[in-house]
Amino acid sequence: MRLLLNGNEAAAHAARLARVEVLASYPITPAAPVMEKITQFIAEGTMRCNFVRVESDHSAMAAALGATMAGARSFLITNSQGLAYMSEVLYHTSGLRQPVVMAVVNRALAAPHSRFPEHGDVVAQETSGWIQIFCENNQEVLDSIIQAFRLGEDEQVRLPVMVNYEGYIQSHTRETVDMPEQEKIDAFLPLVRRPVLDVDNPLAVNTVTGPELYMDYKYHQDAALQRAGTLLGEISEAYGAVTGRNWGGAVTGYRLEDAEVVLVTMGSLVSTARIAVDALRAAGEKAGLLKIRLFRPFPAEAVREMLKPARAVVALDKNIVYGAGGALGRELRAALYGFTNVPVYSYILGLGGRDVGVEDLTAIYRQVNEGLAAGKFPALYQWYGL
Amino acid sequence: MAAKELPVVPSARPGTMAAADMSRLREQRPVIDMGKCNLCRECLLYCPDAALREDKNEIKVYLQFCKGCGICALECPTQAITMVGEYAGNRGFIDK
Ligand code: SF4
Ligand code: SF4
Repeated sequence: MRLLLNGNEAAAHAARLARVEVLASYPITPAAPVMEKITQFIAEGTMRCNFVRVESDHSAMAAALGATMAGARSFLITNSQGLAYMSEVLYHTSGLRQPVVMAVVNRALAAPHSRFPEHGDVVAQETSGWIQIFCENNQEVLDSIIQAFRLGEDEQVRLPVMVNYEGYIQSHTRETVDMPEQEKIDAFLPLVRRPVLDVDNPLAVNTVTGPELYMDYKYHQDAALQRAGTLLGEISEAYGAVTGRNWGGAVTGYRLEDAEVVLVTMGSLVSTARIAVDALRAAGEKAGLLKIRLFRPFPAEAVREMLKPARAVVALDKNIVYGAGGALGRELRAALYGFTNVPVYSYILGLGGRDVGVEDLTAIYRQVNEGLAAGKFPALYQWYGL
Repeated sequence: MAAKELPVVPSARPGTMAAADMSRLREQRPVIDMGKCNLCRECLLYCPDAALREDKNEIKVYLQFCKGCGICALECPTQAITMVGEYAGNRGFIDK
């Protein structure tokens, strides 16, 4: 069945198809319509789920964590200030290895106050130990949320997952979305229950841990996060076998064969960049695109192999890590260092909802080519579109 | 070196903390004057570590659990509990 859905509706349908049992969320723009849609499903009787009304995003995260520890499949939504407010509990959730899934409808952080999209909110949580998936369109939102449960709940992983899509550009824009049949999703995503809070088997959870054990716990947590990178590829394939759609795991290339200048980005800008690459190719340019679907764990090894033949790498970041540059620019340099000498051009753009169109990406492409021709070493990062 | 094997969810069986001896971190210990005690059991209720027990009409302190917080002494309605220093030696600046 094909429906015309915005990103928020697609996320709500994904939660329904995943048979989410607990939704704990606090309303925030532009993510709130996801919870409105889910409560509508509950009211209609098309979804069996407990909606926990909470007084803040911090409590929402704590409630979802507690529900998962009691063995329920839990989901929540937030963005920007709400995500920042949750930050403390994000670390508890990953450290306690609980596979909560959260839709993050990316929006800029204050100050100044903004309601518009960018990735600064989620990049600020890059060290929280959560798996972070980025989606370029509403179909990918639906498919990725379903995959996120299977990924996070896998015995080898057991970690929480953020599924990211941008406010308005995705959350409030309708596209045709193919709705997989419930039976297919049930077969793809069997319910996994691992209750930690069990009256028959009492445990002291989250105990004070001294220097003799803390580091070992963190080692295991990081190893589990790294395993999620490989596993996403297998899960995407399995999902493709069921629905006919394979989003290609952690990272995918577009027209990379013989590409000399490769644009690298994530989220909605991927779709724009694909059109820009087509336009540049039509004009005889050797442009390519690398789509980062998985930002955490960062698929460094795959990125290295795929960017090896490039003459220039262009990181397009809708975020600014103050004083350090764009998150992707930084990751790409770290992954490529010592592997190739390819220059990384790092652009900060599209912050706080400033529009980035195809013409902007072709303009950046030209700037990069001029820089290459002049043999200049690229700046650590530069701002585009001021 | 390999990382130690641990439960996936950081957790411990109940009673793990009871295995830890509190004596090394206690500055003071409660001493109970049974002449003043009326066995009201307030101290048992207030002690955060359940370090006090009643045994044959006598209040006893289990010193492996007592952390020396003094709450029992503060709450005792008959002032039967006195906190006594664990360390009787020199204090403060050591002049060589
Ligand atoms: S000093 Fe504190 S820990 Fe010790 S017995 Fe009294 S109340 Fe309990
Ligand atoms: S609170 Fe004081 S009087 Fe009451 S039982 Fe304890 S020691 Fe005795």
